[in-house]
Amino acid sequence: MDADADTGPAAARPAAPLQEEEPQTPLQQMMRHWVNERHAPDILPAQEGLMMGLLDHLRRQTRSVQVLRDDPTSSESEHIRIHLVQTEIERVRFVIRSYVRTRLYKIEKYARYITSNAEIQTRLTASERDYASKHARLTDQHLYLSVLQSLPPAQAHLDDTAVFSPSMVTVPDKTRPIFVHALQDCPPVRLPDGATLEMKKGHISLTPYHVVEQLLERGEVELV
Amino acid sequence: MADTRQYGDLATQLLLESRRSTQSNTLLKYNDPLVRSLIREQRDLERAVETLMEAEPDNARPPPALLIIQTAINRNKRCLLAYHAHRVSMLQNLYWECGGALPHLISPDGAHRSKMSPHEVDYMKQYSTHVMDYNSEFKEDSAEILSGIEKPPKEIHVNVRVVRDVGIIQTENGSIDFRRGERYVVRRADVENLIVQGYLEEV
Repeated sequence: MDADADTGPAAARPAAPLQEEEPQTPLQQMMRHWVNERHAPDILPAQEGLMMGLLDHLRRQTRSVQVLRDDPTSSESEHIRIHLVQTEIERVRFVIRSYVRTRLYKIEKYARYITSNAEIQTRLTASERDYASKHARLTDQHLYLSVLQSLPPAQAHLDDTAVFSPSMVTVPDKTRPIFVHALQDCPPVRLPDGATLEMKKGHISLTPYHVVEQLLERGEVELV
Repeated sequence: MADTRQYGDLATQLLLESRRSTQSNTLLKYNDPLVRSLIREQRDLERAVETLMEAEPDNARPPPALLIIQTAINRNKRCLLAYHAHRVSMLQNLYWECGGALPHLISPDGAHRSKMSPHEVDYMKQYSTHVMDYNSEFKEDSAEILSGIEKPPKEIHVNVRVVRDVGIIQTENGSIDFRRGERYVVRRADVENLIVQGYLEEV
């Protein structure tokens, strides 16, 4: 995986200060984004360049493996190595698959919010945006056909703002507590009660998500 | 309508069904009769609102009864929507659990088809189309997003026993005709779907 450590990630990471002395391989970066995505209540910026780079790499490796396997002169120990490479390919695919599915799950959940919020759309890829709007439409249509069309016209809307009930549009809950691990010394952040929290490198805290949102975006912390 | 019933009783029943469904993690049968009677209640309530409004058209302050009825209407409606949204998300979970095998989910002799409303069947068909569209982007990289994500693969090969006849399947080592009772060692990625759908069993 380290063969192309310098491709892809440049576009994916916005001018972030280097969080560690040695640069990370694309796979390590992917795994960090995967873990972050799985823990964050909100949808994080898409890592399309990084992911496409990895997928390209996987495709090239699969092809080489195919060639080597079909070569009758390869020895027993080479076969074992091929086997290891194949296993590793499957495991990388697993990470990517899980990453994509995690995002898809959130996109489905917040579909209606996404279609009405320009800011969150900038964090999605084109096909994710497309999926979100299709999903929002599908869900609306289903609710209309199953319920709303049978109700009296005065009740047949999906945008009620009744006083005592929660909003009809699900939005990401940014107050959800998450564990955060500082990758470097971080600037102080303000906690909901007004106190400030300053995390040194290696520090682990439990805070509401919105407190560390900016730090996460800049790559100064990771979620654990 | 029974005299002893309060506004919102039906909706509570509906919510209880959703809760039971979550707790037992099973899809319950679509409760068409209950949904219908709830919709009837909504129409009755709406008529009651109209009657109240007509009785005192010039009244600046709404009669207290109106507020109560309106609250009942809002609550019933939310419960109806929540019930349907909850079912749909159950169905989506089932869809992903069986690796996106739509025919498996909605085939008439399957375990789930009889519990779904016709609208839900349509919904799932449409849903599956959307997922497939999205998936097609990854297919050329053979990184199927529909395969399992419960546990990371440890081995690329898997030892399976055939539980139900499958027929001929293309694998990386050529095609295999899976027949009931036979055992094979095959690449997991090739047969993942068949395992999830219960044609093959891991040994």
